[in-house]
Amino acid sequence: MTHPLRFGALVTSVAGARRAEELGYDLIAVPAAPDGDDWTLLTWIAGHTAKAGLVATGLDVARGEPAMLARAAASLDLLSGGRLELALTGAHVDEVADIVRGVLDAGETGPLRYLGEHHRVPKAQRGPLPAHRIPIWLSGNDQRSLRLAGRTADAWVADLDVIDAGELATAYKLIDAAAIEAERDPSEIRRILIIGPGLGPDDLTALGADTFLVRADEIPELTAWETLRDAAGPPIFRPSSVRAKRRPGIDYDGVPASLAGTAVEPGDLDYARVRSTYMRGGAPGLVLRPRTTAEVVNALAFVRRHPELPFGLRSAGHGMSGRSTNDGGLVVSLAAMNTIEVLDESRRLIKVGPGARWMDVAQAIAPYGWGLSSGDYGGVGVGGLATAGGVGWLARKHGLTIDHLHAAEIVLADGSVVRASATENTDLFWAVRGAGANFGVVTSFEFEVYDVGNVGFAQLVMAADDPAELLVKWGRAIEESPRDVSGQLLMGPPRPGQPAFAQVMAVVDNDDPETIVEQLQPIAAIAPLYQQNVVLTPYTGVISNAADGGYHQGAGEPISRSGLIEHLTPEFARAAMNLLASGAVHWFQIRTVGGAVADVAPSETAYAHRSANFSVIVMGSSQRRVDAGWAALAEHFDGLYLSFETDLSPARIEEAFPPATLARLRELKHRYDPDNLFRDNFNIKAAKR
Amino acid sequence: MTDYGHELLFGAFITPTAQPVHQAVELAVVADRAGLDLATFQDHPYLPRFHDTWTLISYAAARTSRIRLSGNVLSLPLRQPAVLARSHASLDRLTGGRIELGLGAGAFWDGIEAMGARRLSPGQAVSALGEAIRVIRAVWDAERAGPVTVHGEYYQVEGLKRGPAPAHDMSIWVGAYKPRMLRLIGRAADGVLPSLSYLEGGPGDYATINQHIDDSAREAGRDPGQVRRLLNINGTFSEFGRSFLNGPAEQWAEELAGLTLEHGISAFILASDDPSAIEEFAAEVAPAVRELVAAERA
Ligand SMILES: Cc1cc2nc3c(=O)[nH]c(=O)nc-3n(C[C@H](O)[C@H](O)[C@H](O)COP(=O)(O)OP(=O)(O)OC[C@H]3O[C@@H](n4cnc5c(N)ncnc54)[C@H](O)[C@@H]3O)c2cc1C
Repeated sequence: MTHPLRFGALVTSVAGARRAEELGYDLIAVPAAPDGDDWTLLTWIAGHTAKAGLVATGLDVARGEPAMLARAAASLDLLSGGRLELALTGAHVDEVADIVRGVLDAGETGPLRYLGEHHRVPKAQRGPLPAHRIPIWLSGNDQRSLRLAGRTADAWVADLDVIDAGELATAYKLIDAAAIEAERDPSEIRRILIIGPGLGPDDLTALGADTFLVRADEIPELTAWETLRDAAGPPIFRPSSVRAKRRPGIDYDGVPASLAGTAVEPGDLDYARVRSTYMRGGAPGLVLRPRTTAEVVNALAFVRRHPELPFGLRSAGHGMSGRSTNDGGLVVSLAAMNTIEVLDESRRLIKVGPGARWMDVAQAIAPYGWGLSSGDYGGVGVGGLATAGGVGWLARKHGLTIDHLHAAEIVLADGSVVRASATENTDLFWAVRGAGANFGVVTSFEFEVYDVGNVGFAQLVMAADDPAELLVKWGRAIEESPRDVSGQLLMGPPRPGQPAFAQVMAVVDNDDPETIVEQLQPIAAIAPLYQQNVVLTPYTGVISNAADGGYHQGAGEPISRSGLIEHLTPEFARAAMNLLASGAVHWFQIRTVGGAVADVAPSETAYAHRSANFSVIVMGSSQRRVDAGWAALAEHFDGLYLSFETDLSPARIEEAFPPATLARLRELKHRYDPDNLFRDNFNIKAAKR
Repeated sequence: MTDYGHELLFGAFITPTAQPVHQAVELAVVADRAGLDLATFQDHPYLPRFHDTWTLISYAAARTSRIRLSGNVLSLPLRQPAVLARSHASLDRLTGGRIELGLGAGAFWDGIEAMGARRLSPGQAVSALGEAIRVIRAVWDAERAGPVTVHGEYYQVEGLKRGPAPAHDMSIWVGAYKPRMLRLIGRAADGVLPSLSYLEGGPGDYATINQHIDDSAREAGRDPGQVRRLLNINGTFSEFGRSFLNGPAEQWAEELAGLTLEHGISAFILASDDPSAIEEFAAEVAPAVRELVAAERA
C-alpha cells in the first residue's frame, strides 16, 4: 500500500497558510512555537483557510490531560471539516496516544477506562466523533520511539535538519520491523519529512518519504516537484486495523469506483454515524452512499452480486420495521440525495430527493406559501414515507402524501432507470404509492403541493377517568369535525396513584383564529382539560420538531403493531383500554385518516384501505406480549398501514393489501423484480407463472 | 447604591454544542454583527456533546472581526495555568486584543475526575485558583527578567520561560458565588462572573457578592473599582411584562439599568442560542441600558 505523495508548508501566520493553500500545498503545518501556543495558532489558521490539511508538528502532550487533547482534536477536526492530523510529542506519548485514540473512538460503547503507568482515565465519555479518522503522527529518532511508531502510529515524522539520509534508512528499517512484528503492513505508516527548500525531485525520491513539509522563509512553488505528484497512489486507504473488522461474504475490494470514496465499513470512523437507525441499532457489513441516480445503479449492481446477504435500503432511517439497517449485510443509504427544488411554480410542482427530511421539505416550500402533509415528525425521510402512504397533520384535508405524487424516478432491480407517473409506467406508478419498497429504489419524487397558510395547533392534556369512553367521544368528535381538523390521541398505561390522562393534538388547517377555536371546541369539550395550548403557527412550526445535526443512535428492537379502523366503537375502545391496562404496550396512539384520504378510490393506489377513519398504533418491547394483546383487537380492524408495523410475517402483507390489490402487486412483482432483490421489508411474493 | 462606573458591556453566553458542528460559531458571528461586545462559551470538557471550548473560541475568533471572546468560564482543574496564559496571550495577539480570560475553580467534580484530573475540595479549589492566577500573571509579565517560578501547593512551576504578553491588558474574570472565592477575586482578579439563575435570592444577592469583594479588595490595598461586576442573565422577550427579564425590550433595559445603578453590574451576558434574541438584545436592550445609565451617571 503506497500513499499518495503530499506536500506541506511550515507556516507561522495566516498569510503563510493562505499562500500555501494558494500554491496547492496539501498540508499546513505549524511548528512547535517557542513562545505562543501552537494549538491556538493552528485553530486560528483553520478558521482562515478552507482546504488544506492541518497539523501542529510538535504538539507537546504535557499541555493537558490526554483526554482533553482528544476533545480538542475532535473539535478542531469537526470545525475544520475533517482537516486535522495530530502530531504528538513529549513524555509517555505512547499512553497519551492510546487515550486519545480511545476518546476519539466514539463508536465504541461505554466510557473509556485507561490505567497506565503515567496517565489514568477513570471513565471518560468518548467523543465527540471527529469528522474523519484523525491520523496520529509520532516522532523521535531513538529506537524506542521508532518501535512505537512501527507498532501504533499512522505516520512518523522526522526533521532532515536532525537526521541524515543514512540514519533515515535505519529508522525506516526499525519502523518496518516493529510494524511487521505487530502484524501491520509497514507501508501503512506514512513517512513524513521536514525539509528545507532547494531539493530536487530526485533528492526527494531518494529520501523515500511520502509527505514533505517544507520549511522556508518564502514558501516555494510546487512546480519543481509536480512530476512526483502525478504518480500519486490510490486515494482510499484503510489500515489493517480497520480492514480487520470486515464482515464475511462481502467483496469489499470490488466496490464500484464511484461509490468507494463514500462507502463505510465497520472499522471506519463514519461507521458510528451510519450503522444504526432512529429506532434500532445495527451492524451492517457495508454501507454504500450513492449521491446520484447513476451511483444508485452501481450500488444495485453490487447488491445483486451478493444475493445471500441482507440488503437494507435507507433514506432517512426512520423505518419502524428496522429493515434500513441489518447485521452483516449491505445497506444502500440515500441520505446524500436530499435536494429539494421547485420544478414549476405555476403548477406548484416540486422535486425532492429520497434522503430529504420532511421538515426540510416544509421549510423549503413555505416561502411559496405551500405545504405538503407528511407525518407528525419532521425527521422522517421522504423515501420511506412517500413509498408507503404518509398519514400527516393535514391528512383529512389533503389526503395522504402519496395522493400528491405526480411522478417518480425509480431504479429497478435490473438497474434500469424508469419514470412512473399517470402517463408513464402506470402500473409501477400505482404500485409505488403504497408498496414502493418492493419495486425499486425511488431516486426522486415529484409532488404537486398545495397552498397552506398559518394553521391552528392545539396540544391538550385531558382527563381520562374512563379512557374507553374518552376514545369513543374523541372518535365521534373527529368524525363530525370539518376536514380542516386532523390530529392524534396518545395514551400511556394507567399509573397507580396518578390520574389517567390522554394527550390530544390537533391541527386546524385554517388561518382564522375564531374558526380554529370554533372547530376545536367540540374536541376540547369531551373531557376536562389538565393543560391546553393552542397556537397559530406556520405549518413549518408544527413539523420542525426534529433536531439538526447528530446521527441516529437507536438501540433495541421495538415492537409496533398497526391497524386501520373505521369507527372507534365502544367495543373496540374497551378492548383497546384492556390492552393498555395489561402493560404489554408502552403507548397507544390513534391518528386521524378519513376525509380526503377516502376520496381516492381503493383501486387507485396500492395503499387501498381508504375507508378507515383512524390509524391505530401500539408500541411495546415484548413480541409475545404485544402479539397476544393485539390479537384481542384484530376483529375490529380493516387492514393496516405498513409504516407503523414491525411484524414481517406474510399474514401482515395480507392485512396491508386487500386481495385484489395484493394479486395485482404479485403480478407486478413478477414483472419488475422476478429475482426478489427488494425482499427485505414486507416482501410481496411474485406471482408464480 | 454602588456603581463602580465601568463602561457597560453586553454579551452572549453561547452553548458550545458540537452538533450541529458550526452552530456556536454562527451564533458568535450573529453576536459580532449585531454589535455585542462579548461572545462567551461555557466549558464542560467532560461532556462530549460540547466542543472543546478553547478550540471553539480560537476558531470563532477567526470567524469574527470585532467582538471580544472569552470562556464563561474555563474549568481550571482540566486546564493548566501556564497553557491558559500562553494560549490566551497568543490568541489575543492574533486577534488584536479581543480575548479575555474567564476562569472557574471547577464544578461537577465527578466529571473532572472521570477525565483524569484530581478532585479538590471547595477550599482547595479556591487556593488552586489563587495559585493559577499567580502563574498566569507571571507568564504574561514578559518584560520581567528571569523565568517564572511558583512553588504552590497545586501548581509547581520551575524556570518557565515568560511570555508572550497579551496584546492588551487582559482581564481575568472568575465565576464565583461563595465568600472565599469572592475574597480571592477582591485580592487578585479583574472581575466576578456569576449567573443570575444561580443566585438563589435573585439579583439582590449581588449586594453580598459586592460586599465580600469590596472588603477584600480594600484589605489588599486595591480599589474595589478594579474589579468588574459581570452577570450572566437569562430571560424571555415577550409582548407584555410578566416578570423580571420577561417582557418587552424596554422593560429589560430598565431592569438591567437598575442593576447597574444599584449593584454596579457593568456587563450583561445573555444566555441564549436564539439568533433573534441575541439580535434583539444587541439592538434594543443594549443601547437603551447605556442611555438610561448615562443619564443617571451624568
Ligand atoms: C418518530 C416517527 C414518527 C412517524 N410518524 C409518522 C406519521 O405521522 N405518519 C406516517 O405516515 N408515518 C410516520 N412514521 C413512519 C414513517 O413514515 C416510516 O417509518 C418511513 O418509512 C420512514 O422513512 P425514512 O426514509 O426515514 O425511513 P428508512 O428507514 O430510511 O426507510 C424505511 C423503509 O422504506 C423503504 N424505503 C426507504 N427509502 C426508499 C426509496 N427511496 N425507495 C423505495 N423504498 C424505500 C425501505 O424498505 C426501508 O426499509 C413515523 C416514524 C417515526 C420513526
